[in-house]
Amino acid sequence: MTFNSTTLLSSQLHDIKNEMQAILSLQDELAELLTELPEQATILTNISKHSESLNQRLVELLSVLKIQNTSFAPNENENWLIDTITPIVNDQKRLKQFAVIPEFDLEFNQFYDEQLVAIALNNIFGNAHQAGATEARVKVEEFNDGHWLIEIVDNGPGFKPEQLLKGEFNPQGTASGLGLYLIQQAIKTHKRNGNYGSITLENHSNGGAMIKLVFP
Amino acid sequence: MASLDNMLAGMRILAVDDLVESRSAMKKMLVILGAGNVDVAMDGDEAAEFILNNDYDLVISDYNLGRGRDGQQILEEARFTHRLKATSTFVMLTGENAMDMVMGAIEYEPDDYVTKPFTIDVMRQRLTRILSVKGLIRPINESIDLQTKTKTIQLCDEFIKQYPRLELRVKRIKSRTLINMKSYNDALKLFDSILNEREINWAMLGKATCLFHLKKYNDAKKLVEYTIEQHPNYVQCYDLLSKINIKQKDLIAAQNALVRAIQVSPKQVLRQMELGRIAFANLDFEVAEGAFKQSVKLARHSCYRSVKNYLLFAKSLQHKITPKNNRDTRISSGEAFKALDEAKTLYKHNPEYIYDATIIESTTFSNLGKEIDAKAVANKAEAMLAKLTQPTCAHQLALARAFIDTKQHAKAQDLLAIINARKDLSRSEQRDLEHTRNEINEHVVRTYTTEINDKAIEFFEQGQLARAIELFDKATAYKEAGLTVLLNAIQAKITFMDQSEATLEMVSEVGEHLDKVGSLPEIDERHGRWLILIKSYERIKRSV
Repeated sequence: MTFNSTTLLSSQLHDIKNEMQAILSLQDELAELLTELPEQATILTNISKHSESLNQRLVELLSVLKIQNTSFAPNENENWLIDTITPIVNDQKRLKQFAVIPEFDLEFNQFYDEQLVAIALNNIFGNAHQAGATEARVKVEEFNDGHWLIEIVDNGPGFKPEQLLKGEFNPQGTASGLGLYLIQQAIKTHKRNGNYGSITLENHSNGGAMIKLVFP
Repeated sequence: MASLDNMLAGMRILAVDDLVESRSAMKKMLVILGAGNVDVAMDGDEAAEFILNNDYDLVISDYNLGRGRDGQQILEEARFTHRLKATSTFVMLTGENAMDMVMGAIEYEPDDYVTKPFTIDVMRQRLTRILSVKGLIRPINESIDLQTKTKTIQLCDEFIKQYPRLELRVKRIKSRTLINMKSYNDALKLFDSILNEREINWAMLGKATCLFHLKKYNDAKKLVEYTIEQHPNYVQCYDLLSKINIKQKDLIAAQNALVRAIQVSPKQVLRQMELGRIAFANLDFEVAEGAFKQSVKLARHSCYRSVKNYLLFAKSLQHKITPKNNRDTRISSGEAFKALDEAKTLYKHNPEYIYDATIIESTTFSNLGKEIDAKAVANKAEAMLAKLTQPTCAHQLALARAFIDTKQHAKAQDLLAIINARKDLSRSEQRDLEHTRNEINEHVVRTYTTEINDKAIEFFEQGQLARAIELFDKATAYKEAGLTVLLNAIQAKITFMDQSEATLEMVSEVGEHLDKVGSLPEIDERHGRWLILIKSYERIKRSV
C-alpha cells in the first residue's frame, strides 16, 4: 500500500504551516528583544530573510495546489489594499532594501483573494528587484462597470521585447520563483459576472516595467 | 485610524489555540502589539468556559482546535448565548481549506479572518483595520445588542450614505436584521441589489433564505443549488437545501443534503441533531444513530446540550438490540443504558425527562427479551406518569406502547381509552393513537378481554356483582370478545337481576349478548350452559 500523494502533501503542508507560524512568531518575539543589540539583530535579519523567503515559497506552493484543484474557488472577500500591501512593503524594504510606494487612496477596498494577490505582488517586486530596479510604485484605478486594476511600475530596465510579445507564460518557473505564470494564474482565478481577471505587461514611458493586474 | 496599541491597551482579550507554541506566541504577539490583558485557552471547551465567565472585547481563535469544539463552534455559542456582544470582535485564524466554512455564514460570521502562516505585520494590519471598522460602526452594533431592530436599520442606512467604503459590510448587517425582523421582501430587494454588482456567497444564501421564507421553494432551491455548485464547502447552504426539501416533502433528499454538509463540517451540533431527526423519521436508524451519537458528544459541555439528544440516541440504537446475545446487541444496549443514565443524572430535577428515559429503558429491556425487567420498568413509568402534573398525549401514548410491549394489554387498553377521551388531541396525535390501537390486533384484544374476564370472575365469585358486570361490559364492548366472556356477562347480569331487581335496560343488554352468541351447537361444551341461560333470560324478560 502506498500513500495517497495529495493526502500526504496536504497533511504535511498543514504541519509545515504550523511550524512556519511558530518560527515567524518566535522571530518577531526575538526581534523585540534584540532592539538594543544591533549586532545580534543583524543576524536575526539575515535569518528572517531566509525564513520569510521560505514562507513565501510555502504560501506559493499552497496556492499552486489550491489553484490546480478542480473545485478551487478563490476567497474573494472585501479587503483593504493597503492592508494587503503594507506587510509586503515592510518586508521588501527590510529584507531587500527595495522600496514599494503605494500611490492610491488608503481607504481603497475591493473584493479579491488576499493571499493570491499578495503572492502576485511579492513575485512582481521580486522580479523587479532581480532585474535591477530599486523601487516600484503602486496605483489603482476603478471603472464604472465595476472592474478595477492595480498598476505596478518599477524603475528597472523594463521588459525585453520578446517578453512583451509572449502572450502566455511558462509554468516551469524561474530562479526567483514561479514568476509571471503564477502571477497570471493568481489573477485569472478572480471572476465576476462571467468575466475573469488578467494581467498585461508594458514598458512605461519612463523606461521601467509596468504590470497591470486587471480584476473583473 | 486610531493606533493599534491604544485600541488594544484597554481591551480584555482571549487567544485560543491548541498548539502550545502557537498559543504563547500569539499572546506575546498581542502584547508586542500593545495588549495588556490577554487570557489564553488551550481548546474550544476551555475557551467556551472563559467566554461564559468573562466579558471579552476581542477573541482571536484558531479554526482548527483538535478534538473538541472548533473555532466556528466557539463563535456560534458565544454569539448565540449573547456572551459575546455584537460590539465585541471575533477574529478567526484559518488554513485555506477552512475559509469557506468560516466565511459567509449568515448568522454567525467572524468579524475577520487571518490566514496562516502570518507575520506580526499582517496581524497588526488586520487588527488595526477590523478594530477601527468596529469602532466606526459601534452605534450599529450597540443597537443590535439592545435588539432595537428598527433603529439598527435606520443606522445602517445612515452609515451606508456616510461611509461608502463600508457599504457592503453595513448592508450585510442590514440584511441580517431584516431577516430577523421577518421583512423578507425588503431583505430580498437588498440582496438583489448586492448580487447585481457581484455574486457574493452570503448574499446568494441570503436571497435563497428569503425566497424560502416567502414560500418560493423552487426558486430558493435553484439558487441554493447554484450556490453550492460555486462554493461546495459553504455548509450553511446544505442546511437551507435540507429545509427546502422538507417543505417539498422529500425527506430523503433533506437527509442527503445534511449528510453532505456533515462530510464538510462534522462538528456542528444543531446540524447533527437535525440530521438525526430526519434520518429517524426516514427510519434510517444507522444514520440517525451516528448523528445522535455525535450530537450527544459535541453538545455535552455546550449550550446546545439537550435531553432529546440522549433520548433519541437511545431510541435510534433500538434497531440493533435483539434478544440474541450478540456483539451488536451488547454494545448497543450498553450505549443506550449509558445515554439514559446520563440523561437521568443531568436532568434529575425534571420528572418529565426522567419519565421519558424510563419508557425507553423499558423498550430496551423488551427488545433484549428481558420481559420481567421491561414490565417492572414500565410499571415504574406508570407510577411516574401518575405524578406528572399535566401529562401530555405523547406521555400517555408512550406508556401505552410500553404496556403493549410488555404484554399488559388491559393496561394499554385502559390508557388508550383515556387518551381517546382527551379533547386536546392534535391530528398527528390522533394518527398516533390510531396507529397504536392498530398494534393491538384481534389476538391481543382477545387476550385483553380474557384478562378482564378473569378479573370479573374474581369479583363474581366474591359476590361483588356490580363490579363484575362493569368489567364484563368493558370486555364485551369489543367485537373480538370470546363466547365464554359473553356467556359470563350474561350469567352475571341474570344473577344480578335475580338477586336485586330486573330492569328493562339490563334485560335488553342480555338479549344483545345472546344475539352475539348466536346458536351454540350441541357439540360445543358450553351448549348446556347456554340453554340454561336462555331459559333464565326468557323467564326474567316475561317478569319484566
